[in-house]
Amino acid sequence: MVSAYRPENLKEALLRRKEFRVIPFAGGTDLMVKGRRWSGLAPHFKLPVLFIGHLGELKNVELEQNCLRIGSCCTLSYLLENENMPQAIKIALWMFASPAIRNIGTIGGNICNASPAGDTLPVLYAVNASVVLKNMNGIREVPIEQFIKGVGKTVLQDDELLKEIIIPIKSFDIIYYRKIGTRKANALSKISFLGLAKMKNGLIEDIRISFGAVAPTVVGSREIEDRLKGKTKKDIKQIIPEICSQYSTLLKPIDDQRSNAYYRKTVSLRLLKHFLTTEIL
Amino acid sequence: MDKYLNIGKSVKKIDATSLVTGAEKFTSDFKFENTLYIVILYSPHSHAEIMNIDTTKAENIEGVVDILHYKNVPRVLHTTAGQGYPEPSPYDTYLFDKKVRFVGDRVALVAANTKEAAVQAKDKIKVDYKVLTPLYNPEKAMENSAQQIHEDDEYAKIPVKYRPDINLAAEVEITLGDIKKGFQKADFIEEHIYRTQYASHCAIEPHAAASFFDERGRLVIISSTQVPFHVRRIVSSVLSIPAGMIRVIKPRIGGGFGGKQEVFLEPLVSLVTWRNKRPAKIILSRKEVFVSSRTRHPTRIRMKTGVENDGTITSLEMDGLMNAGAYGSHSLTVLSNIGAKVLPIFNKIENIHFIGRSVYTNLPIGGAYRGYGATQGYFAFNQHMDIIARKTNQDILEFFKRWHIQEGETSNVFKALGEGKEGVDQIIKSCKLDECIDRGAAAINWYNKRGKRIKSGKDRVKGVGMAVAMQGSGIPKIDMGSASMKMNEDGSFNLLVGATDLGTGSDTILAQIASEVLRIPVEKIIILSSDTDLTPFDVGAYASSTTYVSGSAVEKCARKIAEQIINVASNILKSKKENLLLDMGKVIDIRDKKAVSFEEISLYSLYEQDQFQIQSQASHVSSESPPPFIAQFVEVEVDIKTGRIYVIKFVSAVDCGQPIHPKLVEGQVEGSVVNGISYALWEDYLFDSKGRMTNNRFWDYKIYTATDIPEIETIVVSSYEETGPFGAKSVGEIAINGPAPAIANAIYDATGVRLFDIPFTPEKVYKKIKEAGRT
Repeated sequence: MVSAYRPENLKEALLRRKEFRVIPFAGGTDLMVKGRRWSGLAPHFKLPVLFIGHLGELKNVELEQNCLRIGSCCTLSYLLENENMPQAIKIALWMFASPAIRNIGTIGGNICNASPAGDTLPVLYAVNASVVLKNMNGIREVPIEQFIKGVGKTVLQDDELLKEIIIPIKSFDIIYYRKIGTRKANALSKISFLGLAKMKNGLIEDIRISFGAVAPTVVGSREIEDRLKGKTKKDIKQIIPEICSQYSTLLKPIDDQRSNAYYRKTVSLRLLKHFLTTEIL
Repeated sequence: MDKYLNIGKSVKKIDATSLVTGAEKFTSDFKFENTLYIVILYSPHSHAEIMNIDTTKAENIEGVVDILHYKNVPRVLHTTAGQGYPEPSPYDTYLFDKKVRFVGDRVALVAANTKEAAVQAKDKIKVDYKVLTPLYNPEKAMENSAQQIHEDDEYAKIPVKYRPDINLAAEVEITLGDIKKGFQKADFIEEHIYRTQYASHCAIEPHAAASFFDERGRLVIISSTQVPFHVRRIVSSVLSIPAGMIRVIKPRIGGGFGGKQEVFLEPLVSLVTWRNKRPAKIILSRKEVFVSSRTRHPTRIRMKTGVENDGTITSLEMDGLMNAGAYGSHSLTVLSNIGAKVLPIFNKIENIHFIGRSVYTNLPIGGAYRGYGATQGYFAFNQHMDIIARKTNQDILEFFKRWHIQEGETSNVFKALGEGKEGVDQIIKSCKLDECIDRGAAAINWYNKRGKRIKSGKDRVKGVGMAVAMQGSGIPKIDMGSASMKMNEDGSFNLLVGATDLGTGSDTILAQIASEVLRIPVEKIIILSSDTDLTPFDVGAYASSTTYVSGSAVEKCARKIAEQIINVASNILKSKKENLLLDMGKVIDIRDKKAVSFEEISLYSLYEQDQFQIQSQASHVSSESPPPFIAQFVEVEVDIKTGRIYVIKFVSAVDCGQPIHPKLVEGQVEGSVVNGISYALWEDYLFDSKGRMTNNRFWDYKIYTATDIPEIETIVVSSYEETGPFGAKSVGEIAINGPAPAIANAIYDATGVRLFDIPFTPEKVYKKIKEAGRT
């Protein structure tokens, strides 16, 4: 038997969270797969399930002066249709699973699942997103890269829920996103690459680069990005081998069902090179 | 005016409305009170002897009713292949054996009041295994050091080579002409090895079977099967239950593609019902379908050709090694077809040597799968011919046209090689392959694209490739189908056929054939297919036989009915029979235009004078197997940066004789094409070092879905096969043969890189491109 709670509001959900050990369940698109058993039998969860996907307090999108606040239980489809959503995020969402999954899967769920192949993560890393965690006592804000600690691991405490995601407003002229999956829809990424850049007078004013599915968590480096800032296209050409080799040491892909380490690494670096040489004009 | 009333018309599929409204019943929809749910325990080892099974703990679980394993079931050697009798597949299988031969082999089953209890109990069965050395590499199966997988007392039912002592499940060899002389005559030798992989049918409905006793104590089996009559025979012989005590009913089926030709669940449910006098049911999970049902046999095919500089092939040697997996289901016949369905297409080659060997390994079991060996054979053949045409600077289209078999011609291979034994001689009466090639080429814009390496975007390049193929239409002199028919008083007709509609639409096709003969609308035919108590025998749906073989039986049967109708009408109208014509539910005298309706004829025959039931039955077995022909063209885009292959457009031009139902023909072709592209690009079985399949679910085993499907064009070339019903040949399998080789040839056209093994994953393509320095 599966025991489950369906709280009326966020406060009640947090109370449950405090009193019992439960699994927060938003869209369930990952959890139902993880909990599945022999075909025809109900799924199994080690702990009781706490449904939160219906809570209105977790489904708002608010545009503030410098940032966008996205409720953790917003579905991916809802975000795709939201006019305030930055283009860079929309592009990643378009490639996410399939319409059916996007209609029920949530952005908070994708973050808390902390999969190396989580498709919202590269862009959230790139735009310096942070997450707001709430328990009965209050809230805390944690940058995304500090929130995710490893494969399936986050700093979310047993009494906390992910309330919202904060995205600083920033516009980019160049958005280059490639998700390499086995097929067009409903396929986990073999690798994903996101490159964002803002140009000013032929110089790179801002640049963000993230790699997905090539290490336990998203790979990015503000340090390397800083080295690229202020450079012209010509300058970049000269330092490409160096930049590639710096990223190369950060990419630690594995062999698995979907692909192999060699492919993941070489193709990721080719996409990087392509971004730096061809996409940036 | 159109000569036909119903033939060549895309009439509404008979079960269309009931399917889309969910009214039709599939096996799992049948509910019985007091059902026992069956769950199977599978071997975790790829090769082991079972020293003991202890079921005590499992029996103690509440709700568990029966547990079966090698100690308490009949020990009868049989094959699960679901073929005609005597089967060409070796008798190498027991319901449960003391030995397990692959990860996923059956060890025991639990029958319980709930599925939950059965699953729990399965995990409580204690099995002591003595692990044996496994054999995974088919290329080493016949070496002296290889572990023997099967026992010496297993045997083949027909006189063929079967040597379990050397892991040889089947062997076929033919030699025509003088192969050595042919090679000596050649200007150069072209030799390559091609490899094909495991694949699953992925029918959306998993295998399922249910059984119960009817009111009079007869065993009724409801099964998702392609072969209801073979099910009855096999259950009867394995369980020693007289066939007359068994009734097999085929409900609606959610796809088969060969996977449901296998008879491996029906004996189990039947045995549980028999022992416990309760209904029993089993529905496989997807994981079980992947691992423990049947697969496409992987092959390694070596093609060696002697070629003259003008492209003349002086000698052809084809050496196929097939991985049978742990049991030899279809291991002889699929193997034979690698040659038998491929070699005749180039009938002008005088010197041919074909050798095929199927070997046992400790891996999942091969079986029937749409294409049935031809798919594997054509993968090698079409790439090989592309290589030869390029080397001899010939236009591949002209090359194929020059060498392929033509109307009025034969091939020595037809006689020399059949399905497992000698074949049947035949002369090709219909072959529009030239037209298929021309029209397909036009549709893909071949000459503006071939060899052009058109760039699309910064890192993509396009190429085109093509392939040709033939298949058969049933197994000649073996496959038999039959039909019976009776007339009702409203002028409708019951048509009972043993032929098995698996979602193919054959019920509609057969009704069209019957209604055409009788010149009535299709709706006047009430068709019932595949119930062994009600319908006459049919071998079932396999070998591309239903339209051609079963369709001919229906045509014959309907002609006999027509004759009876005319007889009665002639009595009523006092007209000469030769002046009478059937027309839209009436019989008309062409002289005086007097007419009598079918209703009147039926009422007259039932109630008025010399009363009798207008009824008939007919059987059909074909003395030949006219091949359909196809030319398939593909345009691909290769992403040089990632190695991904994008199929842009796929064209099939097919000669399947007269299409009975053009939409269903297109459906078969499109389905095969998508199936074939998916097989060519992605599908594969991955195994770990212990022989366990690691991608045994749709999460990891990706097949083409709606978003991936490219532009597909199907051209049905006008053709007429005089031996078929209204000129029809088969179309169910042929179109799966082209995608893999056509795509391989297109990748070469785009990049100059040749891929000799499927699937063409980005990882593989990228590596090859990189090695070739094309990036």
